Amino acid sequence: MFNLINPSRIFYWIEKLINFINSIFFVILIIALTFALILSPPDYLQGDSVRIMYVHVPSAWIGLASFTGIALFSILNFIFKIKNLNLVSKSIAPIGLLFTCLAIITGSLWGQPTWGTWWVWDARITSMVVLLIFYILFILSHKLIEQESKANKVSNLIAIIGLINIPIIRFSVDWWNTLHQPSSIKLDGTSSIHPSMLLPLMLMLLVLLLYCALILLMKYKTEIIRIKKKNIKRI
Amino acid sequence: MIQNIISMNGYGFFVWLSFAITFLACGALYYKTYKTLKKYEKDFAKELNQLSEEEKKQVLEKSKVASEFLASYNKSI
Amino acid sequence: MLTKKVKKRVSFLSLLLISLVLAVFFILKSLTSNILYFKSPTDIQLSQDIVSKKKIRVGGMVKKDSININNEEIKFIITDLKNEIFVSYRGTVPNLFSEGKGVVAEGTLKDKSFFIADRILAKHDEKYMPPELKDLMKKNAK
Repeated sequence: MFNLINPSRIFYWIEKLINFINSIFFVILIIALTFALILSPPDYLQGDSVRIMYVHVPSAWIGLASFTGIALFSILNFIFKIKNLNLVSKSIAPIGLLFTCLAIITGSLWGQPTWGTWWVWDARITSMVVLLIFYILFILSHKLIEQESKANKVSNLIAIIGLINIPIIRFSVDWWNTLHQPSSIKLDGTSSIHPSMLLPLMLMLLVLLLYCALILLMKYKTEIIRIKKKNIKRI
Repeated sequence: MIQNIISMNGYGFFVWLSFAITFLACGALYYKTYKTLKKYEKDFAKELNQLSEEEKKQVLEKSKVASEFLASYNKSI
Repeated sequence: MLTKKVKKRVSFLSLLLISLVLAVFFILKSLTSNILYFKSPTDIQLSQDIVSKKKIRVGGMVKKDSININNEEIKFIITDLKNEIFVSYRGTVPNLFSEGKGVVAEGTLKDKSFFIADRILAKHDEKYMPPELKDLMKKNAK
């Protein structure tokens, strides 16, 4: 089961995947941007400012999904002690940090023209800031703690504690009064976004996911080389 | 038409700025990750080549990753 | 694969997670009034201790046909379909502020049914659609 992430035949597959993504990335990017910025209609209420949704929503989803992934890998690693999982979660972390930041920044840029404010401390936005802090703690624990096994332990613990925050972010808009609107796409799959706007949203999500895959693969390769380099005499 | 796309009925500043920030930040992270990867590849190859013939043979025999790495690295230069 | 060690770790982890969830739950529960970004008109009607000088936020829907603008002063009614509150405000309102839409007003209470706002924020819902479709829906509703 864990052979897939075992770094022995992995370089070959990483190279292949990177080349494949590079070959289709810009085509999909241009299609997605055309739909998001030109072809999709403005909103009946928000006008053209609704286009910010096409970067804001995928960023927030990726930020949440990355942390969930890191936390699940941390749990698996804590139980079964699989070393490679640490490398994977370490490779996901910068992606999650980037997209959580982007979700907050683009959200602020969306809030000003629609709500009339750059920033409010409502439950959704505050819990996103807490997620950002957890990402920073996770990355710092790897940067600051010299001893690798100790750094892994601390970062795993941070990720498992931070997991509690994920459902809080997801349901904050349902549990409490917030300025942020409720989720448009419900857990049962129904959506209150018109199909002509859902298409560019999904295209942008695809583009950003492909980008994430690129970064993840490159970062994972870097981590493997770093480990091998450290143990070069003992391989 | 083009005027319309740029101004976005007054929302142009916010829309274009959020798209620009997103893609610039993504580009910056890509650049950084790419640079780090190339640096590590170079250092690793250098270290492998500095080993004595005996050691190198041993390392490459024991570690598939190292031999695979060296093969793909030499091809790419 | 399920050795004794693994079982021990699983039970430790589930214990940790359960206690964390409980702790967070109670913390959030005790902080509810601070987490709520705004109060509804009903909350204000029901609350016992109204401090008139304290800044609070009231949120709900702008009642239809209730906006009244004169001399730079905007008066309107916030409703949550059960209770209502009058709001008086001087200043600019966000683009999305309109009748039948969500709104959050920041300011002070004069009494339980009169609110003096010094900031108005617009709250929109989670539905997104093109303008043509909205017009069509309006026609069908008539």
